[in-house]
Amino acid sequence: MSHPATTGPKLRLDAVRKTFTVPRSGAEVVAVETADLAIEAGEFLTIVGPSGCGKSTILNMLAGLELPTGGTVAMDGRKITGPAAERGMVFQDYALFPWKTVFENIEFGLRYGPHGKGLSTAERRSRVARCVELVGLGGSEQKYPHELSGGMRQRCGIARLVANEPDVLLMDEPFAALDAQTRIILQEELLRIWGETGDRAERRTVVFITHAIDEAVFLSDRVVVMSAHPGRIIEILDVDLPRPRTDATRTRPEFQALSQTIWNLIRDEVYRAATAAGSAGGAGD
Amino acid sequence: MSTTRWPRYFILPVALIVLWQLWGMTLPARSRAPVPLDVLASAVELVASGRLPMAILQSLGRVGLGFLVAGAIALVLGLLMGFFRPVERNLDPIIESFRPVAPIALLPLAILWLGTGTPAAVFIVAYAAFFPMIVNTIAGVKGVERRLVQAAQTLGVPQLTILRTVVLPAALPSIFVGVRVAMGLAWMSIIAAELAVGSKGGGGGSGGVGEMMFVFYAYYIELDSIVVCMIAVGLVALAIDHGLRWLQRWLMPWAEQYR
Ligand SMILES: Nc1ncnc2c1ncn2[C@@H]1O[C@H](COP(=O)(O)OP(=O)(O)O)[C@@H](O)[C@H]1O
Ligand SMILES: [Mg+2]
Repeated sequence: MSHPATTGPKLRLDAVRKTFTVPRSGAEVVAVETADLAIEAGEFLTIVGPSGCGKSTILNMLAGLELPTGGTVAMDGRKITGPAAERGMVFQDYALFPWKTVFENIEFGLRYGPHGKGLSTAERRSRVARCVELVGLGGSEQKYPHELSGGMRQRCGIARLVANEPDVLLMDEPFAALDAQTRIILQEELLRIWGETGDRAERRTVVFITHAIDEAVFLSDRVVVMSAHPGRIIEILDVDLPRPRTDATRTRPEFQALSQTIWNLIRDEVYRAATAAGSAGGAGD
Repeated sequence: MSTTRWPRYFILPVALIVLWQLWGMTLPARSRAPVPLDVLASAVELVASGRLPMAILQSLGRVGLGFLVAGAIALVLGLLMGFFRPVERNLDPIIESFRPVAPIALLPLAILWLGTGTPAAVFIVAYAAFFPMIVNTIAGVKGVERRLVQAAQTLGVPQLTILRTVVLPAALPSIFVGVRVAMGLAWMSIIAAELAVGSKGGGGGSGGVGEMMFVFYAYYIELDSIVVCMIAVGLVALAIDHGLRWLQRWLMPWAEQYR
């Protein structure tokens, strides 16, 4: 494991601002307005907010896929200037390589990236095989992504990330396209893979994006609530629910109370966005 | 109704050929209109003597060579131009200014530089094949889902490796469209070039199917043989395209939509 340069947080956003220039009109869109956030090592942090509030933009800046227009984004005290194997990502639309089998997809980072350097072919294969088992894809290794269900595709996406052993796992609405049952199963599996039942020090840092409040509460140590126009962090809430989280977690009064609190924070915004989308054609994805 | 299906599809073509033959038989004996039976006789002779197969092989060899040269250059340049904006900005004006010049228009230059033999023919083929391939390669690279590139980037894969392992396979269906168009153009151009170079009595001709047609036209006035050559050229083009489609399915078993 890499050693932090400082004893500070794993990830840090410092007065981060991000604007986009709309190509034709030249108009400026403020996607994220002065965000400050410190994410601790081993923490499971979730960002919720209405569509278009800048969640993906923040995650892309953490990944290094976008650079902030103002302020700094840093990992272990070092400024993030581009994508790297230390910060892996899972995408809502899976982004699997269609010409590669499940096994080859999961092997991809180790085969072509820096984290596989020094592994023999046999070592690499056995690590991939372990990840296949970890996400329950045993028996589908030789299938192509188009032969898989949505849930299986996302298992493959998660395995591809986990096999590469990044320090930080970035997940952009990974379960949004799945049906409700699959979603619940994958939430629990994700927590298991993250190491919920194991030693705290063994856990990786996870930044997870969702627009589903129950999902955020169920998974997280902390929930960041954002609002749109401009995208701002309006609240950061601790989730004091015991781990491991189970079905019973969802019925606890604290779970329901926290979900309600978050809903109250963004309700007005969601309504406003929904009606504005009807009249003004609405931005966002 | 019938037990086998194929006769239905052949009714019209066969009827047309029979009509053509009947019409030809009403003409005076030494008219120049080719009729099917004469064409068939001529085809048998040309194939049996090995002249036509040899000529086709020679033309095909040139197409293959010119095609490989053009393909290699177009692939490398196209990948770089599609992926790295500055490369495109610098090279695009050059490529676009050559693109409207028809391959056959370069023939005089090619002959002056390279003579009338294989090098000039290969040059014409390569020139003809280059543009559809580079244009489709660039379009294919630009059409690659950004997500796939980002997925590789967040796994820490270096840019040039991404170009090879993500962009190239993702762009392959589009590249193949270019390959098929280019192959058709290359085959047309080689026949045109060989025809245009023609043949001088004592050698110095271009060789290939095109020269063969020229000889039948200019020296023997054998229309039947020319028709045989035309049909052969068409059949070869058809066979090449089928071969490429098969190759496409074999190379890209995942690309269901291109079946
Ligand atoms: N590449 C871009 N160009 C222009 N505007 C963008 C771009 N990416 C995002 N935006 C805008 O920034 C805002 C935040 O987008 P995003 O981060 O995708 O929101 P979310 O993920 O919360 O739905 C939206 O208004 C969106 O339209
Ligand atoms: Mg988003």
